[in-house]
Amino acid sequence: MRILKELIKGIYRENPVFRLMLGLCPVLAVSSAVSNAIGMGVSVIFVLLCSNLLVSLVRPLVPDKIRIPVFIMIIATFVTIVDLVMHGFFPALHKSLGLFIPLIVVNCIILGRAEAFASRQPMVSSLADGLGMGIGFTMALMIIATFREILGNGTWLGLPVAGPGFEPVLLMILSPGAFLIIGFLMAFLNWLDNRMACERTANK
Amino acid sequence: MKDIPQFAAILCLVALIAAASLSWINEITEPKIASQEMKALNEGLQAVLPGASKGSIVPVKKAGNISYYIGYHDPEQRKRIGYAFEASGDGYSSTIRTLVGVDTTGTILAIHVLSQQETPGLGTRCQEIRPGESHPWWQAQFKGLNASDVRVDKDGGIIESITGATITSRAITNAIAEKATAVMQELPSGKQTE
Amino acid sequence: MEPQTLFGIAVGTIFITNFVLFRFLGLCPYIGVSKQLDSALGMGMAVIFVMSLASAATWIIYHYFLVPESSNLFFQIFMKSRGNPPDLTYLRTITFILVIATLVQFVEMVIQKMSPELYQSLGIYLPLITTNCAVLGVSILNINAGYSFIQSLVNGFFSGIGFTLALVLMAGLREKLEMADLPGAMKGAPIAFIMAGCMSLAFLGFSGLKIG
Repeated sequence: MRILKELIKGIYRENPVFRLMLGLCPVLAVSSAVSNAIGMGVSVIFVLLCSNLLVSLVRPLVPDKIRIPVFIMIIATFVTIVDLVMHGFFPALHKSLGLFIPLIVVNCIILGRAEAFASRQPMVSSLADGLGMGIGFTMALMIIATFREILGNGTWLGLPVAGPGFEPVLLMILSPGAFLIIGFLMAFLNWLDNRMACERTANK
Repeated sequence: MKDIPQFAAILCLVALIAAASLSWINEITEPKIASQEMKALNEGLQAVLPGASKGSIVPVKKAGNISYYIGYHDPEQRKRIGYAFEASGDGYSSTIRTLVGVDTTGTILAIHVLSQQETPGLGTRCQEIRPGESHPWWQAQFKGLNASDVRVDKDGGIIESITGATITSRAITNAIAEKATAVMQELPSGKQTE
Repeated sequence: MEPQTLFGIAVGTIFITNFVLFRFLGLCPYIGVSKQLDSALGMGMAVIFVMSLASAATWIIYHYFLVPESSNLFFQIFMKSRGNPPDLTYLRTITFILVIATLVQFVEMVIQKMSPELYQSLGIYLPLITTNCAVLGVSILNINAGYSFIQSLVNGFFSGIGFTLALVLMAGLREKLEMADLPGAMKGAPIAFIMAGCMSLAFLGFSGLKIG
């Protein structure tokens, strides 16, 4: 049951993007299309799982003072693996994500979870945490990308979803749109939290 | 302080393991990456030299780099269809690579944008295919024009710029004209070999 | 797209392709540290320093240790007589991030010695410069653009200035915003993002400018 809790928390209550505000750079850059969002999400889940696993296994053997460089090397290795494999087998995605694939190594989520969680918890909890955070990250990415792609391009995953008379709001696909959408989404989640808290106290 | 050799040893060990695993993965993926690039290039060449039989597109090198390609009608390489070359130019937010196929007089047979990272919804429309069609509509306008003279409408030519993507349109067009002029000059003067 | 003259690189990276507002690099500290002007400025200085050094160091490592050319030092020392220089560019990510981590460690020690107040006020955000996408980002961008050593150094330095500019602008605005009467849900991060969106919109006016 505890494993399940570790998994679920990364999705809403401790969503890395909306709550912990980690890993923002790729979120804004990659969320212009839902296909990119999914590609990036899957890559981050892979790296999170592998690095959390290896970090929790290796931690007892590594002296405290050099743990950060060791974690970084572990994460960088998996990121390079993702980079090479994507380049060979998914070249279109590799080109779209571009610079942000190697930048996964500095995605605060991964180093953050390695340091805060995986280095202190047993293997299975670490895996669950990694999976939960990764899924939360991917969902946040997909939600933002959905707004940006539909409003800014009239498509979802490349398929047209808006009617023929729809004039896309170009702003949404460009940089300002990313900031605005995430700002409003965060405000909405805050509002939702306040409502739930009020209802809870009202019900007492 | 006396821990330092121990720290260094552990770090080196981790680094070695990391480098070894990456080197292994690299061995596996490197050929795949190279073949992907070749595949994209070959598909592009086939697209801009319609009628060239497979295997009859021959590169011509100058100073070690491929300058242009000669397209032959037949595998025995007796009749030339024309030439193909890659034109590269800086667009709005990326370098755009375009393959251009011309016949022996320098008239464009077809163009094929190989790669670009322009603004989605604007510059990327240079590769947009309308529903029901099979080729990008913007690229189709180049067919039949003299490659060395193409210009966008804003520069006095007849290529219609993409609305809101003048820079992208101009970049591709000018790159084609520039490269075409250079290639046509490089061709051995005289008639095509029969 | 990449300007080639030093002036073009400098001005371009501050206004036209601003690291924070256009390229989305360096966002975590942007939201985290921009609450006060002084800490924003201090952070900005540290980042400029690290980005410049990192650009220089990573350029050297890439061009003398990783590329498959005759300048590759491994090739010169070990393999001169036989075969081709090895292509180690796939080790780029891991070597760059290690160099950056080391640099940041070094900068931390220097700041702690030279200005303990700054060290205190930056707190946790100083070691976090390692994970600042802008630092690794500029190193990779230099390689992708094929810049020379001097061009890379200039790009690193002025990209840091662009980052600091965005950071300082945001901090100035947020200090004023403390007094504003906002709806509860908007307070904090949401309004910061929306303001960033407006600033990004303003900077979009520069885009497409070609200067060298």
